[in-house]
Amino acid sequence: MILAVLFANAEGNILIERFHGVPAEERLHWRSFLVKLGADNLKGVKNEELLVACHKSVYIVYTILGDVSIYVVGKDEYDELALSEVIFTITSAVKDVCGKPPTERRFLDKYGRICLCLDEIVWKGYLENTEKERIKRLIRLKPPTEF
Amino acid sequence: MAQSYVKKDDDRDDEVEYSPFMGIEKGAVLQEARVFNDPQLDARRCSQVITKLLYLLNQGETFTKVEATEVFFSVTKLFQSRDLGLRRMVYLIIKELSPSADEVIIVTSSLMKDMNSKTDMYRANAIRVLCRITDGTLLTQIERYLKQAVVDKNPVVASAALVSGIHLLQTNPEIVKRWSNEVQEAVQSRAALVQFHALALLHQIRQNDRLAVSKLVTSLTRGNVRSPLAQCLLIRYTSQVIRESGNNTQSGERPFYDYLESCLRHKSEMVIFEAAKAITDLNGVTSRELTPAITVLQLFLSSSKPVLRFAAVRTLNKVAMTHPMAVTNCNIDMESLISDQNRSIATLAITTLLKTGNESSVDRLMKQITNFMSDIADEFKIVVVEAIRSLCLKFPLKYRSLMNFLSNILREEGGFDYKKAIVDSIVILIRDIPDAKESGLLHLCEFIEDCEFTYLSTQILHFLGIEGPKTLDPSKYIRYIYNRVHLENATVRASAVSTLAKFGASVDALKPRIFVLLRRCLFDSDDEVRDRATLYLSTLGGDIETDIDVRDFLFGSLDTPLVNLETSLKNYEPSEEAFDINLVPKEVKSQPLADKKAAGKKPTGLGAPPTGPASTVDSYERLLLSIPEFANFGKLFKSSAAVELTEAETEYAVNVVKHIFDTHVVFQYNCINTIPEQLLEDVIVIVDASEAEEFSQVFSKPLRSLPYDSPGQTFVAFEKPDGSPATGKFSNILKFIVKEVDPTSGEAEDDGVEDEYQLEDLEVVAADYILKVPVSNFRNAWESLGPDCERVDEYGLGPRESLSEAVNTVINLLGMQPCEGTEVVPPNSRSHTCLLSGVFIGDVKVLVRLSFGLDGAKDVAMKLAVRSDDETVSDAIHEIVASG
Repeated sequence: MILAVLFANAEGNILIERFHGVPAEERLHWRSFLVKLGADNLKGVKNEELLVACHKSVYIVYTILGDVSIYVVGKDEYDELALSEVIFTITSAVKDVCGKPPTERRFLDKYGRICLCLDEIVWKGYLENTEKERIKRLIRLKPPTEF
Repeated sequence: MAQSYVKKDDDRDDEVEYSPFMGIEKGAVLQEARVFNDPQLDARRCSQVITKLLYLLNQGETFTKVEATEVFFSVTKLFQSRDLGLRRMVYLIIKELSPSADEVIIVTSSLMKDMNSKTDMYRANAIRVLCRITDGTLLTQIERYLKQAVVDKNPVVASAALVSGIHLLQTNPEIVKRWSNEVQEAVQSRAALVQFHALALLHQIRQNDRLAVSKLVTSLTRGNVRSPLAQCLLIRYTSQVIRESGNNTQSGERPFYDYLESCLRHKSEMVIFEAAKAITDLNGVTSRELTPAITVLQLFLSSSKPVLRFAAVRTLNKVAMTHPMAVTNCNIDMESLISDQNRSIATLAITTLLKTGNESSVDRLMKQITNFMSDIADEFKIVVVEAIRSLCLKFPLKYRSLMNFLSNILREEGGFDYKKAIVDSIVILIRDIPDAKESGLLHLCEFIEDCEFTYLSTQILHFLGIEGPKTLDPSKYIRYIYNRVHLENATVRASAVSTLAKFGASVDALKPRIFVLLRRCLFDSDDEVRDRATLYLSTLGGDIETDIDVRDFLFGSLDTPLVNLETSLKNYEPSEEAFDINLVPKEVKSQPLADKKAAGKKPTGLGAPPTGPASTVDSYERLLLSIPEFANFGKLFKSSAAVELTEAETEYAVNVVKHIFDTHVVFQYNCINTIPEQLLEDVIVIVDASEAEEFSQVFSKPLRSLPYDSPGQTFVAFEKPDGSPATGKFSNILKFIVKEVDPTSGEAEDDGVEDEYQLEDLEVVAADYILKVPVSNFRNAWESLGPDCERVDEYGLGPRESLSEAVNTVINLLGMQPCEGTEVVPPNSRSHTCLLSGVFIGDVKVLVRLSFGLDGAKDVAMKLAVRSDDETVSDAIHEIVASG
């Protein structure tokens, strides 16, 4: 299960968050934990370089893309490698929508599209789509080309 | 200036950087949402408003019921628009608004229409939305379409239906299970993702049917799985089948191993890793099976991708716990990871190295770790400290450098949990390595001079009180302890007073000086400190005859369970009659099952107190002492681990702990009644000892009542020849009176029926008479025992799977403590020496040197040399091996 996908800006404010199977009372804890993890480790990290951590049986893969930091949390079959696949799909889709690693402004300008991409990539805790070309078409309700 | 929702720093006045959502307000957005009702829809504007709504929701904004309903109704109007982009947004916002059951009806017809649409993408999205918001009744109406969608030609539609199926399985399993055939067909799909989703769903549908899962795995491992993600799932399912199929096939080959091994050559790293991990997780994995997996993991260690490095080192760390020698080849790669930028990777590398390193590499490793410690967080440091503790216990000769390391880091900055981990480690080392005692105690003394944590200071003072008086020069600790009386808070001062009293009671030469110090404490500003000083002065100042009482009072553990004492104190009403601690019940009150389960689930955090085996033995001893019939059995020699006598999830769960005394053996049967409608009374175990000739039953203590969910114990005691390691097999039947319990009132009926329940057999084996006691230096201990009572003989162990298996069998047979890491056999070895130590019943120290040799036909020969203080014990060890 992919437990959470989270986007935050440079100051650690949440831009988008999606939780799956995480009780509401634990979300605040996760939010602050992830943002702190990013603040501690993401300084000076190159765009899309993946960082990884694990706590008991839960895995966290996170990275930075332009002004935005992205965190993905998973457990069971979504271990660090599966999560790196998820985060790779997310970063490719965001880059595709924004044209390049986004500034915060650009990210917010494309907010609706990014939400749609996320909707295509992760659905209630499961990875649904992985190819950016396909995602690009799906968010415009176009069928995939290979079909 | 309006404040941004997103940016905290409103000092930034560069206009380009302003958020497009600056100044956004819920009320205004809800107003804007009225455009959804326009007869001429402006698709672009509507999309913008939906984006704003999404933004508000993502920022944690909540809508009132009325607001949500209003927005939802307006959104449904947008189904009229033909604009594709807008339609896609509509699907998303409906899911986000998650309308209530009575609202869903409004949108159902539109979605049903889309589900039958010729436009594939409408179908896919409508399925996802419907499955998100629908309930069971509607599901039966749309089931037909969903089934069709599973095998739809368009992979997006098929995936939408399959992933919906995974979610619906949680709420409506009986419906989704009917799709089995379609899902099976989808597993063969040419589209990679469809195959992935179909496989996940099919496995979930069949997960409780072992045979079906086994068939699924058998057919797919032969076939062609396109998606790496699906391949990973298949590897996981395969591991599950291997685990459940138990042992190897008749040919000796492990089923599906070839498949796992072939996955190590897959082009996707994810699949390679999954296969390597599956191999390392195999039950009783052999070195030959491990080698290819370790090789690929070693390659990953030097990958440029941090995720791969992390995954590899994490897996190797786990392997190192059971097969340290298998990982040694990777040590060089792992050493270079100590400087990895990612601290999680570096910590895992270090702790793995600490597990696989040999005695000669300890010093070099410690040097590297010292540099590393300064720039990691406390939680990583704790992991390292724990790894160093185990390393020190493994190589006791290296205690000096490891103890120095611990004392150095104890002086540095750190939080409570970290400091506690270090102090706990030092305490354990002092307890287990006699040579380390003096230096360890001094390190602790120095630490309390400047310790900011009251809890740690009091714990250390307590420990000093027990261990300090037993050292060669107890007087040198007094200064450190008495300093606490001057410089600390009341809690620590009170502890220090108790510690001083312990020194006074144990060391006669110090007594007069301790008196002087205690008298000074009579003027302390805190009443607890004064009270303690007064109490100790009067107890220590008594006659010599009361010396034993004083020692009992100061050092004896409280033989009354704290919970019972607390309850009795609460119930005590002030009266003429003084509170009498002897009237407090000593029987350990059983803990309700629910609590116990919860406690088991609770993650033992890093700060959780370590529960050493000593505490279990102590609590057993206390429990047995509370039963008068066992009082004359003498000192408890050993308590075994609990042996299950019932299978999991049966009506009554029973396990047994064997308590060994010099002339007696007591079986403690721990029983749990798992049926809420039953109350058991007069529970007893009828033991048949016909296959244990040397034992004769002397006593049996029934359990009066065993309510649901609340564990209780019944005991049976046997007499056996003095000091002899008598063995035998016992069959057990649980006998009781069962009474029905009314589920509403919880009252039990008056009349009960006698019933019995067959339990598994129980054996007393030779290993029950030997305590695992490590020695700090085997060679010295061996020399000091001398050859007088040495017995040497040779044995043929016959054909064995591996040398390592033979070594483990003998270790388990004897139940002794392996020393200096010699329980691990290096891969491909033809010979091996294993050193064991222990204490035989009657408190006789025993050391064993086992030399194994392997000939070509896998026949193992063993030379067994035993040394002890008593030749009959040396002979007894040989008898155990000869008859085992």
